[in-house]
Parts: sequence; C-alpha cells; structure tokens
Amino acid sequence: MDESLRHESVPYAMKLSKSKSEESFEHIFHEYWPAIHRFLSRMVIDPAEAEDLALETFYRLYKHRTDHQDDSNARGWLFKVATNLALQSIRSFKRREHYEINAGKEALIETPNEQPARIFAKREEQHLVRMVLGQMNPRQAELLIMRHSGMTYKEIAKALRLSAASIGPLLIRAEREFKKQYQVLTQEEEI
Amino acid sequence: MNKHLNVGQLRAALDGELDSAGLTHLESCSYCQVRQKALQTHSKLVADQLAFLSSETKVPGLSSSSAWLRFKEYQLVKKETNMFRKLFASSIVRYGVPALLILALVFAFPATRAFASEILNLFRVQQVTIIPVDFTGMEQLNGVDGPDISQLISNSITMTQKPGDPTQAGDVNEASKLANFDVRSPQDKTPSSIYVTDGTAFTFVVDRAKAQALLEEAGRSDLVLPDTLDGAKISVNIPSNVSIAFGNCPPPSSDGDGFSTGPGSPGRRYPDCVILAEIPSPSVSAPASVDVAQLAQLGLEFSGMSPEQAAAFTDTVDWTSTLVVPIPKNAATYEQVAVDGVTGTLIQRPADDAPQFALLWVKDGIIYAIGGLGSNSQQALDIANSLP
Repeated sequence: MDESLRHESVPYAMKLSKSKSEESFEHIFHEYWPAIHRFLSRMVIDPAEAEDLALETFYRLYKHRTDHQDDSNARGWLFKVATNLALQSIRSFKRREHYEINAGKEALIETPNEQPARIFAKREEQHLVRMVLGQMNPRQAELLIMRHSGMTYKEIAKALRLSAASIGPLLIRAEREFKKQYQVLTQEEEI
Repeated sequence: MNKHLNVGQLRAALDGELDSAGLTHLESCSYCQVRQKALQTHSKLVADQLAFLSSETKVPGLSSSSAWLRFKEYQLVKKETNMFRKLFASSIVRYGVPALLILALVFAFPATRAFASEILNLFRVQQVTIIPVDFTGMEQLNGVDGPDISQLISNSITMTQKPGDPTQAGDVNEASKLANFDVRSPQDKTPSSIYVTDGTAFTFVVDRAKAQALLEEAGRSDLVLPDTLDGAKISVNIPSNVSIAFGNCPPPSSDGDGFSTGPGSPGRRYPDCVILAEIPSPSVSAPASVDVAQLAQLGLEFSGMSPEQAAAFTDTVDWTSTLVVPIPKNAATYEQVAVDGVTGTLIQRPADDAPQFALLWVKDGIIYAIGGLGSNSQQALDIANSLP
C-alpha cells in the first residue's frame, strides 16, 4: 500500500459548509504553502521534487477534505502527508546524490563565509540523516520528523491518532532507533 | 504531585510540553532532574542532527500566489489524468505501459470500436486520428474503477485467450519469435530491456439496458442507444505486443502503469526512459446489424462534442480502419508528423511538472507507439526514423 496513504483514511477535519469549502481550501493553501514547501525542500533537496511533493500534498488535502469537518489540524494533516511523501521520495529517488552535490555547491555560494569543509561535512551529515530516516520504521521516522519540524505534541497526536501522553515515550524510542541506525550507517560508510 | 515523573513526562518537559503539575514536581525533585539531564544528553544529539528540518532559512521557490496558480493547473491535469485512467483501466488485459496506451485506445470507446466493424464486419487499425476529450465532464463516472468499459455494458464476457504476464526477451530476434511478428528496433541503440506480452481474446454480449444505465449515470440521458445494440456479440482479438525500453525505465507492471507507482514526478524518476511498443493491429468483429455511424456519433457526443461537431467528425473518419485516440483536452496537444515513411501523430503533454510525449503511427499492419517522459520528443522521432 502507498505508505503516504496509510493514515489518510482518517477524515481531514473541516467544519465548513459546502459553499465555503473552496474558499477555505484556498485560505489554507496560502497559509501553509510556505511552511510545507520549506519543509519538503529540507527533506528532499531537489527543488523541483520538493515543489512537486508540495503540490501533491495539497492535492491530497483537496481530495480528502469532507464537508463536516474542522480545519483545526490542517497543519498536522499536511505535515503528515508531506512527511510520508518525502520519506517515499528519499527511499526511491536514486538520483538524490546528484542533488546532494548540487545542494553542497549552492550552500557554498549562499554562505561564502563558512569553511567549505564544514559545509560539506554538514551536508554529508544531513544526507546520512535522510538515509536513516528513509530506512527506519515509517511510523518512528514520521514521529521524529514531525516533532523536529516544530509540531506540538497535540498536533502530532491528532495527526497520527495517538494520545498526547504517548508522544514522549514514543519519541524516546524513535530517537534510540535513529541513533542506532545512524551508527550502523556511518560505520558502513567508513568501510 | 509526589510520584516521580516517567520518561515520557521527562521528554515532554524537554520539549516544553509538560503540564504545570509535572513542572512543579520537576522543579523540586532532584531525582527527576538527574534523570532529565541524562535524557537531555541522549535527545540533544538527535535534535542537533535533525535541526536542519526546522531551519527558518529561506528556500528559493514559488510565492504562495504563484504556487496557487500552479496548483490549479496541477489539479486540472490530475483530474483529467484520473478520469483518463478510470475510463481506460482494464482488469482483463495486462500489458506494458506503451501497450497500455495502444490497447486502451482500442478499448477507449468500445462501442465505437466494436461497432465500427459493421461495414466490413471486422475492424483493423490502419491509421490514427486524434480527438481531444474533456474528461472532466465525465466525473459522474467516478465510481467506474477497475473494470474496463466492456464489463460495464455487458453481463457476459468470455475469455477465449487469457492474457499472460510480460516475458523478458534477450534480443529482438527472440522477441520476434515470442510475439510471432517481425519486431523492429533501431540498430544504433541498445535496448535496456525487451518485454513480450502474450495476446488475449475475448467476446462479450452487449446488454443495452446496462449500457444505457451507464450513460444515464453519467448524466447523459439525452443519448439514447439503439435497440439493435441489445444482444450484439462482439469479439476482440489482441495479438502479442512487444515493449522495447531505452534508458532507465520501470518494468511492466500488472496494472500496466509502472510509471505511476511511487511518489514524485515520473519525469524526474525516469528522465531518460523511452519505450517503443509494437503490436499488430487488434481486430474487433461485430454483427452487421449495428448502425456504426450512429454509435460513433453517440460516443463522440458522450466525449463532449456537440451533436453537430460529432456528426461532422463522424463523416471524416473511416471507422473500419481508424484508431481514434482520445486525449485530454486541457492537458495535451497533438500534431501530425512525417515518420517512418508514413504520417504519424505526436502527442505532447506539456505540463511543467511531468511533461510526456507519445508518437503513434501505423505501418504494414503494425501499430507503433513511442512513449517517453520529459519534453524531448525529438527522441521519439529519431528512434522512429532509424527503424530498419
């Protein structure tokens, strides 16, 4: 099953009359486009791919919204879908390295005062982080990404249909798993 | 609160998410403070590594107003593409992507196709013509998913030859033997894979009431199917087809649409993929009692043409030998081109996100299609013109 759809059967909430639905969607689009696009640009690097995924994220919101729901967690819903699309992209996008290299070059241009070696080291670490996230249990990766993208426990809990009290313990477990897999990957890279 | 905090609460405290009662306890409990410190060390490493995700540094990209315009475009293309897929998805026939294009087109308007055989009692493709269709007008058929149209207009479908899975061939000669016709491939290009999919054959008996109900469901009760249609036995024979891939292409999938699996633009996942598909013309036979022109006209009206336009178009087409290719009106353009010594049709979907092209032509009874992603349709023409 398409992983990005795993939780999308959860109705996205929007308490709006049908006539206002379009207008509300447009409002949500303008409000969250910058954040979703920026988040995806961090996740997948390739700007065109990030833009595609951002459009797809909003398209899925458009397709799944219903008439009897509220828009209190549009942000959570959008981040959840964007996260899953980004993880799928990381797992499948074989040309990523090309963009990683380009991203490194761009970073050099954007921040001329930083040491090139430091910039490349940072990019390399981000590359490994993305790979680890792509390899992890999707649920744990999803949780880590959503939290470290700035979402609150309440938003995460609502988007992932968890209790807010369970977020803390689950985050600890996810972080342990992340560290474990990161170590394995860095050892493999060294070999 | 006298009870010590659990790890989840300690973690929540680090994120500023702990409730006031928990915070009060933490401030006065040295045991919990020590545990929180240890947890902080553990979490900080991960937080540092993931910090780039929440970086506020501006990234280049579209403003929300420009993105909104792009979104409207994206939405329209998606809508049309979905309608296109829903109409042409076939659970009976399994074939590769370009073969899907060809065969789906044959099935596109089965009524038109099947009944086109009235004059000669047999329909075979000798030429291709294009018809731009407004698929968004067919949204009422949204529930039509999976079965092909023939299942929707018939209660009785008999498979006389079941379709097989694609078989990989080592070279063009082997493909020719497996497919039972002379497969052509450009000599100056090495294929990345060659697949042969066995042909299939089936017959179905039209249930007029069912077909009429489908039209009514689609909001077109103004279109009335003739009574002579009821009980007409249609036989379809689809020969084996061959897909020759160049570059990095997805393998043929069971639903015939390998490009669509996975996220992201196929154009970026398979940027250099070009597929040449070849298939001898399928044949469709139907009883001579059916009014071909009338059905063809109904099919055209259903696709969005006015009765006058449909009548004019019907007059220009030889329904016994023309493969009418419906393309999404708002998402694709087409032009006639000279190719392989005959006239072919180049269809292009010029979307910014995932441009696609397809070149179709018919020569010596074989239908050729070259499909690719991206906007470099010249590749298709080069391949077509270098066939031996």
